This record gives sequence, C-alpha cells and structure tokens, in this order.
Amino acid sequence: MSQDTATTDGTRRPLLRVRELTVRFGMRHGRRIAAVSDVSFDLAAGECLALVGESGCGKSVLASALLGLLPANARTDGSALLYGPGQGTGLDLLAADEATLARTVRGRRVGLVPQSPAAHLTPVRTVRSQLAETVRELTGARGRELAAVTRAAAERAAFPVDHLDRYPHQLSGGLAQRAATALALVGDAPLLLADEPTTGLDRDLVERTVDELRAHTDDGRGLLLITHDLAAAERVADRVAVMYAGRVVELADAGDFFGEPGPRHPYARGLLAALPERAFTPIPGMPPELDALPDGCAFAPRCTRASAECARLPAAEEGVACHHPVTGARPAVGRREGSEGSKV
Amino acid sequence: MSAVLKGGPTLRAGRGRRLRVRASAAVLVAVLAAVLLVPLLFPLDEQAVDMANKLHAPSAAHPFGTDDVGRDVLLRCVYGLRVSLLVGVVAALAATVIGTAVGAAAGAAGGRTDRMVMRVVDVFSSVPHLLLGIFIVAMFRPGVWPVVASVGLTHWLSTARIVRAEMLSLRSRDFVDAAVSGGASRWRVAVRHLLPGVLPQAGLAAVLMVPHAIWHESALSFLGLGLPTHRASLGNMIQSARGTLLAGDWWPTLFPGLFLIIPTLAIASLAGVWRERINPRRRSELML
Amino acid sequence: MTADPHPALELSGITAGYERRAPVLRDVSLTVHGSEAVGLLGPSGCGKSTLAKVAALLHRPYAGTVRLGGEPARGWRHRAPRAQRTAVGVVFQQPRLAADPRLTLAALIAEPLRATGRGREATERVRELADAVGLGGDLLDRRPHEVSDGQLQRACVARALVLRPRVLVCDEMTAMLDASTTAALVTVVEDYRQRSGAALLAVGHDRTLLERWCDRTVELAGAGGGTDGEEVRSAPRAPADTSAG
Repeated sequence: MSQDTATTDGTRRPLLRVRELTVRFGMRHGRRIAAVSDVSFDLAAGECLALVGESGCGKSVLASALLGLLPANARTDGSALLYGPGQGTGLDLLAADEATLARTVRGRRVGLVPQSPAAHLTPVRTVRSQLAETVRELTGARGRELAAVTRAAAERAAFPVDHLDRYPHQLSGGLAQRAATALALVGDAPLLLADEPTTGLDRDLVERTVDELRAHTDDGRGLLLITHDLAAAERVADRVAVMYAGRVVELADAGDFFGEPGPRHPYARGLLAALPERAFTPIPGMPPELDALPDGCAFAPRCTRASAECARLPAAEEGVACHHPVTGARPAVGRREGSEGSKV
Repeated sequence: MSAVLKGGPTLRAGRGRRLRVRASAAVLVAVLAAVLLVPLLFPLDEQAVDMANKLHAPSAAHPFGTDDVGRDVLLRCVYGLRVSLLVGVVAALAATVIGTAVGAAAGAAGGRTDRMVMRVVDVFSSVPHLLLGIFIVAMFRPGVWPVVASVGLTHWLSTARIVRAEMLSLRSRDFVDAAVSGGASRWRVAVRHLLPGVLPQAGLAAVLMVPHAIWHESALSFLGLGLPTHRASLGNMIQSARGTLLAGDWWPTLFPGLFLIIPTLAIASLAGVWRERINPRRRSELML
Repeated sequence: MTADPHPALELSGITAGYERRAPVLRDVSLTVHGSEAVGLLGPSGCGKSTLAKVAALLHRPYAGTVRLGGEPARGWRHRAPRAQRTAVGVVFQQPRLAADPRLTLAALIAEPLRATGRGREATERVRELADAVGLGGDLLDRRPHEVSDGQLQRACVARALVLRPRVLVCDEMTAMLDASTTAALVTVVEDYRQRSGAALLAVGHDRTLLERWCDRTVELAGAGGGTDGEEVRSAPRAPADTSAG
C-alpha cells in the first residue's frame, strides 16, 4: 500500500513502519484463520492513525501482534519496524524475542491504552500504588522522588491527584480510563496504542477520552487508535485505515474520508452511510468468515459495484484496494438525506 | 505470503506441566493395573500367616518384606490400596452428589432458602469432620459401607459451597435474565442454564475428594474404627506396623505409607491440571 | 393497527435500585404506547438499565407499578405470570454475557419456544428469524465463542423476537457494534414493529442514534445528589393514560 503522507525515502522517518503484516491462527481440525493479511502502513510522530472496522475484522489481533501478545497458535509474517533515537534500522516487533519486548518495548516504547480500564486495573490496590509500581519499574525512581514522579504521571493524564488513593471500583468510567492512560504514559513511550479505548463509554466521555489522547499526540507521540466508533475516529484522526476481513481496504486522509470527497472503497462508503447521522442503511450481508476467505476481493459478495474482475485480489493503489473505487465528485452520501447514499 | 511464517512467542507453560501430567498418568495406570490385575493373576491369600517368615527385610522372595505375622507386605499393599481406592472413589462420588444437590438447590433458590441451607452447612462444618465421621462409624459394625457413609456424609460440605457460589455467580448473568424473560421456569433455569455451568467444578471437586477420602479411610482404620483389623487396608497396615517401627523394622510402615502418598499425589496433580483447563481465563485460544 | 386504549407499557412512580436506602431511580414515570418507539437517554450510572429491567419484569422496584397493556404486573422474575414475562422481549448490551455459552445459536434462538412448551414450532421459527436477522450458513450450528459479537447480537435479537413480544426493550443493544451492524439490527427491530405494532423502549446514551431511531426520546438525568434529577421529561399524556392510572 502506498503512503501519501509519510515519505519512505528516509528524510522523515516514521515512528512505526508496518509492512505486509500477516497473522494466521492454526486451529483444531486443520482450520486456519487469516486474521490479518498484508497490512502495511506508516505512523509518524505527532500523528493519529485510526484503524476502523467491525468486530472480528482483525484490528485487535493487529494490536496484539504489535505488542507481541499473540497466543501460541499464531504465526506472523511481514515486519513492523519501530524506530527510535539512534536506531537507524529500527526494531522489528514481530521478530523481537519476549525478553526484549518485555524489557524495552512494552510500556517504554509502546504504551497500551486498554479496552476496559476497569479490568486493566488491579481491583485490590489503589491507583497510587499501581501507578507508583509502574513508575518504579520504568524509571527506577525511589522514595521522595517516586512520590513526585507518580503525582506528575497522574497529572499528565489529567487524573485528579486527590483521587489517587481510591480503588478502581470507586472511580467513574472516565476517571478509570484516565488512570489506565496514566499507566500507559508513565514510560513516556513515543508510540501509543489505544485498543477500543471508548467501548461502553457515554458520548461525552468518548469525546473527552479521545480528545485527551489527541492532546498526547500533539505532544509529539504517535497514536494508533483502534476503534469501531467512526465518530470518535472522525474527531481525532489525521488518517484513517479501514479494515475489512483482515485487510486494509482503504487508507486515506481523515478530512477527505469523512468530508469531501468521501471514502473511495465501497465498503468504507457503506460503513459511513450506515451511521445514524447519515443514511442509517446497513450494508447488506455479513463479512466472510476468516477461515474461508474468497480468493478475490472479500467484499465482492456484498458489493453493488462487483464484477467478474473482483474474483482477483485487488492491489492497493493510492490507498484503495478496489477494482472499482468511487472516483470524482462525491455522490449523495449526504447527511440525513436520501437512500441513494446507501447504494454502495 | 509464501514466505515461511515465523512463530509467535510461545508461552512457556508447556514442558514442566506436560511432564507432571505424564508422570501422574503413568502412576495412576500402574496403580489401577496393580489393584485390578494382581488379585486376578496372583490369587494368593493376602491374609496367609507365616510365623516362620515374620519380619523379613525386603528380599527377592518378598520385595517389600514381611510383616510381624509373616504376611507379604507387597501383596497386602496392593490389596490395601484396592480397598482404599474403592472406598475413596465411592465415598467421593457420594459426597459430590450430596454436595452438588444441596449447593445447586441453595444457589438456584437464593434468598431465604439459600441462607437457611448455608447456615446448616456452617453448623456441620463447625464440627471437626473426623469427629463426625467417628460418630457415624461407631454406630455400625466395622466394614466398608460404614466407612463410605462416614466419609460421604462428612465431605459434601465443601462441594456444596463451591457449587452454590458458582450458581450464584452464574445467576446474575444476563443470559439468566434472558431465560426468565423467555418464560423459563425456575426448574428449567436451574437445570438447563445453571447446572451445566457448575458440573465441571463439581467433577473437579469429586476428583480432588478422592485422595482426601482415601486419607480419611486410612485415618479411621488407623484409629481402629475403620475396616476390620484383618482386612488389608493401608490405614490398618500402618496402624499394626507401629510397634515394629520402634524395633527398627521400617518396611511394614514405609511401603504402605508410600502406597498412600504416591497415588493420592498423582490424582491431586492431574486434578490440578484439569482445574487450570476449566478456568476460563486460561482458555485464550484466539482473541478476535 | 388496532386502537388499543391502554398503553403497551406504563411505568409509574418507579423507585428502584440495589440498595433500599440509595435507589438509583426515584419516582420515575414513563409511558410507551403500542407501535410507538421511545428512546431513553442518559449518562452511564443514571439507572436507565435498571429501568429497562423493571420494564421487562426482571427487577423488582421498591415502589411504583408497571402496567403491560393496561394490566398491572403481578410479580417479578419467576413470580410474574409467564404470559406477562414473555410479552416483553429484551436485548442486552453485551451479547457475550446474554448468551448461554453452551447453546448453539439455533438453540439459543429457540430456547424461549422450548421453555414455553412450543418446541415443535422451533425449526420453522428459527429459520424465519435467522433469515430476518441475516444469520446464514453454518452459523446457526455454532456456539457463542465461535462467532463475532455482531453475529451473536443478531442471534440475541432473534431470541427476543421469537415469542412475538408486544413490547421490546433494547438496553444499549448496539453499544458494542459497528455502524453497519447497528443499522442492520435497528432495521430488523423496525421491520418487526411495522408488522406487529409492538412498542419499543430503546435505552442508550447515543443521542444521534436514538433520535434517528425512535419517535421520541426522553431523558433520565444522573442520580447524583438526590435532587429532582431523576424526573423523566415525558411526552404529553394521552387521555387513556390518566384513566388507566
């Protein structure tokens, strides 16, 4: 997949460069699940890339792969190079051994903002003690310094310092999310990976959470936001990658994608048209099973633009993997109007 | 995609556990083979007294030696284990059935019924169960069935607690609400939606109970309250060998002791692995 | 549509919660008429899910009455007569928790039929509903852990419709789902309502969604501080409403 915004000649090195990342799960009875196929993208410092798609499209598996947290029956291929100061060639997250990942990557170079903060925090310990433990682990601070750094870590995630001695169950959903974000930020990791950070939160809280994540991006971090919430993605993302059946089918500038001229891949168009503030019309059918993907375009069976050509896997051109991308002026995927927009 | 796929980082839980499972399984197979086949293949009288050969140290003729009345310790160990296993398995099953029934009833009913049943369980639990077991065997003539009853009637309490707790945690799930809303009766919710969820736990409790029941039987026999003294049981053997141990003859005590410890450890170890497997947190085959 | 003089669902003066001294709902009233779709909005923790459970006769309130088609609820959970319980179909937020992990999707959908002694209709109804919610192929033979959240929620919607309820309660039905599945399930519910004239109480926090989906929305304010916050701003009451009360 070509990159529009990130150069590949090395003048402006990305923070993370993923190339042809593939994840397969070997299951019983010889079943093989193609969870992620040939995913490529770059993520620069100070940039937010939203990875959107429905549940089961492989986006969470992608996140696990980047953190080296896949179960034992997973096989990966491709590369995911994480660049840092003084590391010209980058560290391949897929090839790195568990010790390297645990000691130098997770928390230090990649911070994870978890899906359900309530489950991420230990219920029997206060936020302060959990935060202090992480601070001690990652920075080596002790004693008086530890207390100060812990407070600073809480403040950085806008977690109120006077709530530090509370237990997770005494926190509201928003504060629990901030506590989890504070943990993710302790190591000052240049790359933040947020896996569905807003699931189950109210709209107000969703907006506040993603705005806070955006603020950390503006501080110069790279943010990979994995979500099924298109409104949240629209609010904070610089670029959008749409995943369908394990592949990135469209990678576009967020402004173009959500505004004019709109998505070019028929699936992405359908997804936007399904929003209640737009046509509110579903895409007919369901995504294919990941253990029985067609040889060609996986979206073809649900696509009104499909033709004989679609039996062949489309190559990604200018960020779109489709034989019949929507081109030119935006058709009527109008806000709150006609059903024409749902035709794709 | 034709390139060789690299292996993901594997979790290192595997090897030690596999070794443990294999060793435990081997021990259990050997034990079962011994207790089932030896009486068939070597129809010797385990009670045959031979005063001329009493208290012989282990030798080729008597690998485990002979006891104070010249009986072969190996043969008596096998017969003793046979009796102990039988008592252990039957008693554990009885305890599990009682415990599951009581726990499931309390958990499914909830409210006042639950509180009352659990207070009764608490009262039973407050009496040391060996004492209660002694009381039960004392009411009957010595034999296998009083011992089974004694163990079964005193060991269902923990199973009842486990099953009830599991039922209560399942009861608050949305799928039970969905069943209620779909018109399911109390009975149907309990039997079709709750009970299947607790059976693995109850089964595990039953297996963990077997070693416990074997030890309980041995303890009763050791106290002279279990099986009749001439019956070979591990407890009886250890009890009658106490005197000879003081005289320096270690084999009549050591071998029954090992026969008691090793199979029970093997069962407990396999049950431990099973417990890990039914723990849903460890079942992360694939997260999509 | 038959002109039923009684509202399909009428909650009046409901005070409910999990601690008698600190109820999450205080004196809440809400009326949903036949073939009407009402969206109940509110921040998390305001008690809207509790109200949904009360409406489905799954949670006993400390005070207040629930009327279904004008008839007062005669009990809660198992104490409610089966006819009343099954008159309300419920869809929950998290399909994983709302599905018995041991049942196949087909058995899951058919469960209410089997529970009410109508197992013979199961095959046909399951096929019908599977078509309606878009579950095809071998999905029906799979167990919950073998399908995605979206697919499982489709099965849960089918289960809620299998007994043809007169009232549907959808508690955050689409909170975990992507835009397309959300639109698809809303379409399924709306198709059913069109055909049956059932009433809908859709609970959620997504204003855009509920305003698009429902005829009207009411707001349940947060329970903080025990002020007059729990009042539901309800639509003007129909005359039949007062006579029934």
